[in-house]
Amino acid sequence: MFRIVFALVAVCAYGQAPEFQRDIRPLLGKKCVACHGPDEHGRQAGLRLDTFEGATKTGAIVPGNAAKSRVLARVTHASRPMPPTGPRLTETEVALLRQWIDAGAKYTNHWAYEKPKRAAFPPTANAIDFFVQAKLASLGLTGAKEADRATLARRLALDLTGVPPEPAVLAEYLKTGAYEKYVDALLASPQYGERWAKVWLDLARYADTQGYEKDSKRSIWPYRDWVIRAFNENLPFDKFTTLQLAADLMPDPSIDDLIATGFHRNTMTNTEGGTDDEEFRDLAIRDRVATTGQVWMGQTWGCAQCHTHKYDPLTHKEFYQLYAFFNQTADDDHPSDRPVLKLTSTASTLVLKELEEAKRRKTRIYDRGNFLTPGEEVKAAVPVAFHQLPAKAPVNRLGFAQWLVSPENPLTARVTVNRFWARVFGRGLVESEEDFGTQGIGPTHPELLDILALDFQKDWDVKKLLKRIVTSATYKQVSDVTPELLKVDPANRYYARGARFRLDAEVVRDQALATAGLLSKKQFGPPVMPWQPDGVWLVVYNGDNWMTSKGEDRYRRALYTFMRRTSAYPSMMNFDAPNGETCTIRRIRTNTPLQALTSMNDPAFMEAAQRLAEKAVKESPLNPAKRLFELVLLRPPTAAEAARIGQLQRQAETELRTQPENVSKLLRYSEVLYTEDREATLIPDGRTSPREWRYATTAQVDGWMNAGFDDSKWSVGPGFFGKLAKPSETTPIRTAWDTESLYLRYTLDLPAKLPTKFKLPARTNAQFDVWVNGVAAVNNIFERSGHYEYTINDDGQRAFKAGKNVIAIRVSRHGAQGGDQIFDPGLVASLPWAPVAPKAGDAGKAAWVVVANTVLNLDETVTRR
Amino acid sequence: MNEKMRTALAATRRHFLSGCGVGLANMFLAEAQEARLPVAKAKSVIFLHMAGSPSQLELFDYKPELVKYNGKPCPDELLKGKRFAFIKGVPKMLGTPYKFKQHGQSGAWVSELMPEFSKIVDDVTIVRSMSTDQFNHAPAQLFLHTGNPRFGFASMGAWATYGLGSENKDLPGFVVLTSGGNNPDGGKSLWGSAFLPSIHQGVHCRSHGDPVLFLSDPEGMTRNVRRKTLDALKDLNAMQAKQAGDPEIDARMGQYELAYRMQISVPNVMDISKEPEAVHKLYGTEPGKTSLANNCLLARRLVENGVRFVQIYDWGWDHHGTSKRDDIQYALQPHIKTADQAVTALIRDLKQRGLLDQTLVVWGGEFGRTPMRENRGGTEGAFIGRDHHPYAYTMWMAGGGMKKGLNYGETDEIGYYVTKDKMTPKDLQATILHQLGLDPYKLHYPYLGLNQRLIGPTDEGRVMKDLLV
Repeated sequence: MFRIVFALVAVCAYGQAPEFQRDIRPLLGKKCVACHGPDEHGRQAGLRLDTFEGATKTGAIVPGNAAKSRVLARVTHASRPMPPTGPRLTETEVALLRQWIDAGAKYTNHWAYEKPKRAAFPPTANAIDFFVQAKLASLGLTGAKEADRATLARRLALDLTGVPPEPAVLAEYLKTGAYEKYVDALLASPQYGERWAKVWLDLARYADTQGYEKDSKRSIWPYRDWVIRAFNENLPFDKFTTLQLAADLMPDPSIDDLIATGFHRNTMTNTEGGTDDEEFRDLAIRDRVATTGQVWMGQTWGCAQCHTHKYDPLTHKEFYQLYAFFNQTADDDHPSDRPVLKLTSTASTLVLKELEEAKRRKTRIYDRGNFLTPGEEVKAAVPVAFHQLPAKAPVNRLGFAQWLVSPENPLTARVTVNRFWARVFGRGLVESEEDFGTQGIGPTHPELLDILALDFQKDWDVKKLLKRIVTSATYKQVSDVTPELLKVDPANRYYARGARFRLDAEVVRDQALATAGLLSKKQFGPPVMPWQPDGVWLVVYNGDNWMTSKGEDRYRRALYTFMRRTSAYPSMMNFDAPNGETCTIRRIRTNTPLQALTSMNDPAFMEAAQRLAEKAVKESPLNPAKRLFELVLLRPPTAAEAARIGQLQRQAETELRTQPENVSKLLRYSEVLYTEDREATLIPDGRTSPREWRYATTAQVDGWMNAGFDDSKWSVGPGFFGKLAKPSETTPIRTAWDTESLYLRYTLDLPAKLPTKFKLPARTNAQFDVWVNGVAAVNNIFERSGHYEYTINDDGQRAFKAGKNVIAIRVSRHGAQGGDQIFDPGLVASLPWAPVAPKAGDAGKAAWVVVANTVLNLDETVTRR
Repeated sequence: MNEKMRTALAATRRHFLSGCGVGLANMFLAEAQEARLPVAKAKSVIFLHMAGSPSQLELFDYKPELVKYNGKPCPDELLKGKRFAFIKGVPKMLGTPYKFKQHGQSGAWVSELMPEFSKIVDDVTIVRSMSTDQFNHAPAQLFLHTGNPRFGFASMGAWATYGLGSENKDLPGFVVLTSGGNNPDGGKSLWGSAFLPSIHQGVHCRSHGDPVLFLSDPEGMTRNVRRKTLDALKDLNAMQAKQAGDPEIDARMGQYELAYRMQISVPNVMDISKEPEAVHKLYGTEPGKTSLANNCLLARRLVENGVRFVQIYDWGWDHHGTSKRDDIQYALQPHIKTADQAVTALIRDLKQRGLLDQTLVVWGGEFGRTPMRENRGGTEGAFIGRDHHPYAYTMWMAGGGMKKGLNYGETDEIGYYVTKDKMTPKDLQATILHQLGLDPYKLHYPYLGLNQRLIGPTDEGRVMKDLLV
């Protein structure tokens, strides 16, 4: 606040005339325009102050004569000042307003709605460095020196590919210092596409489920793969745009082109009872309009769905004119209408499909945004404040996409270059990446933004743009900061130093796995399920379980992790990754204890620490500390760091010498972690060698499920239980059951060292309950056929004991008598892990695991510097 | 978003993270401070959400006329233009099978299913005129807790810690406890921070495994070794800080130390085993179980330790009557019995400890249930239950500056519509923020060109002065 006031006073003191865009528009926007702006319904006293015509029509502002302008009288009114609520105008603001009116009250257009202009700069200069230096000079600052090779090597690799560099590529660069060649190698690596796809998927609100209550799985990962390939193949951004928004309307689209239209099929759907399909279709269309506005033009169009935008040039009607572009797709919320593109026998994806001519929809303005109160009919059109549709463009989604990437569009290129800049520098030239409207923050370097945008518009070449940015001297600066500079420019808005910021969630994790040699290079395909704590997925009316993947799928890059909207992967969420609910233009970085807990204790990080330590000890047995630092930070430790690391290793080793079990755990961490690898069948089911259960088919007395109940009079028989109209080879009925209910009991002997994580695989189309020693353990309300593994709840898990255990099950037939009914239970569990007695030197090795865990938690490790 | 706010954000952030004691959620902005009221009636909130929505007609809203109409077809005018989740065709009216009596000096009508609650009605404000506009679980829950039926908005607890910060620097300011075997229908977004900084999101404390995810040291690492790693981390980070000069490094180390303290403080506060036997008897708690009773006791321990907002979700109140397990005779009874004991115990316990005055307790579901019997599939089953009903339902509040023994609002003779003193989730949100000492109209966060607020862009949410002392 102090700084801003100071700046304003300075303006007046120097006698410089106030400028509308810089001084007056923010002031009016903050204190006047909400009631005296573009929204005719919300407008008070018929007065609008955001246009020259509106403000001067009735003398609220008399150009050149502040004394006669009513606005000034009102904002300074002693008893009834404007604004009527909220803070009044400060004296400085009043002075600014007065000066501006006296100088003629000149209104100019918002900068972002004017086309970019090419400012002059010396032909031999690098534009980025020229304009950054010019700004620094005007502030009396100078840039920093170039960072050393190791720092740049890590910075570039993490910025461009999201993972540490390949050893050979790194070695070559460290040896030769061939910077451009190194940049080219990174841009050409397959990992480049994965890094930037993730950036794009935040915008696309990508997830692997459909949202809301049941949040069921859906297959749209081929779209995710398309984005990765598009970045790797360096698809020009204009084509990247039109394919995603309208490939289905282009002549002869390929299968790949159609997959691209998944961008707007990432909207959520709701299948709760009684849900109005039309309501959720409407929400999806609005989301598409709002998301498109945000992603391509940095516009907050969503604001205008209920009323005319309070600040920016988009009327209520214009919102629905934009809506009309998106309103002709066949994607009712109803599953049967959803256009699914079959790719192979097992893979499919969601795509856009235009309605047939006969089924075209009318678009109406929804009063206050309520789809139940439709008003005037509107036709597809672009907002009048902007350029018109390109001459030959069709009036549909395709034409609209062409309008977005037309050279006349003042925003698309600016917004896009700003986004790439922001991902690399930690903040955009326009900090409010999501809002280039009048409420956003203006660019720190407007000329530079425009030049980058104009050049990008020539060929829409993303790799070229990134290369241009990272080969600038501005990018290469060291990130160290002095207290003096910190005071002048705490947020590094003027680039007197290199950027330094916490890595993104995915990079924090992928880096840990990569340095440990664990990270899989496998690309593409269905989402995977790396290790996740038990009990994170407890979604209502949905029997999906988190089934930990096998083999290298446990160690894929984070962007391949299954994304459930209502239950995001915890470590990602802790590091500020979005969950795909809405389009996320930029992540707000936070610094919390949950992040510390994650990187210290999350077993996924600990497993990485164990492998990392193993690698360091193996590759450098005499100096593992040095190797640890090289693997993680790409630099050797300083003498002081090495000493401190050595001290920690000795302390840990001393402790561990007396803790053989802990040594074994630390050295065999993966074995301890993956309980599913120790899974064994305790009661085989009907698919293999079914065991005999005690069973009854008539109603039972209270307490029949308790351990002490006498079931000796019950019948005995193996699964499958039931009755099928057509005999089946895969589910042979071995014990007939055709009554309403089926009661089952099984007595199981367990050893003193109990297994853990009991699960009940079962084949059924019925609802059923399970008790373990009389404790309610499963309550299955789903009626689905097929073999599923049912989770035994926590109370049930704890009810198992050494010796005799009774599993009791009650099955309730699905549907009326006469239909098929089937039930076949089994039981599996994970056997306990057995430590291995340590060998000589193992305590020392285990201590390196502790050290590796520490190195992975260094500030420098989780920071891009 | 304006420049002033950005600068304030940066400055406040640094101030709190490097200078003062590092609190979990006290990274509030200048903007949030502007919304502070001179007086706060409540320091903490305990929101008991019975997910699925319990039947007001079986518990609070006594309708003898409806009992008379029992079994009669529902009149057309109640069905015309209405959308139901499951009811199709013409359902029959359903009178409650339970008896009601008036209790206490306030004369509150309460059903025989809640003998314990009947004894504390004079400490409680009962609102029988709640009305929402959502009739599906997920949107209705989102609307209640984030002010919007769609995903993407910040939850009430997040707004509270954003506005006020936390009182305890070793515990999160916003804690979520769940029971009933499932997370609520709206998922984790119900305690999400959306556009607010993620430090304000609710921390889900679990009864099994780590109470907070990743709270325990990894297998094989003792507490002592963990301490040594933190000491080393501190020294190594200090070397980096000296060279890099970035205050974020100190801030990060502060978070590591806080995490280390949380590793002790969270299990301590979550461990109810050392509570005296009398307390367990009062609540019906069993240490080690996942239950509403345990969570009620935990809620008391959390607010006692300065946690700002405790959100409890108990899943399993969706009594449609499609089978024995969701029938209002078989399934509701055992459920309400344990809930009645636990929830009443919480009020008594808070009161006896002098905490009730500064703790606002809120109880309810996301909507109500129909006066008609649900008729799933069109044919009548053997079980009885009710469909979702947004137009009228009951919630109650206690403590935190609410009137004692108030019966507020009325519904028509069959409990279909509110006839007097309608109150909406937006009114509730405005009232809760107000009691916490925050101006619900001013508490905002600039995002996407709009000043986002819990109560939404319009001012229709009211602080319910009638309910307040």
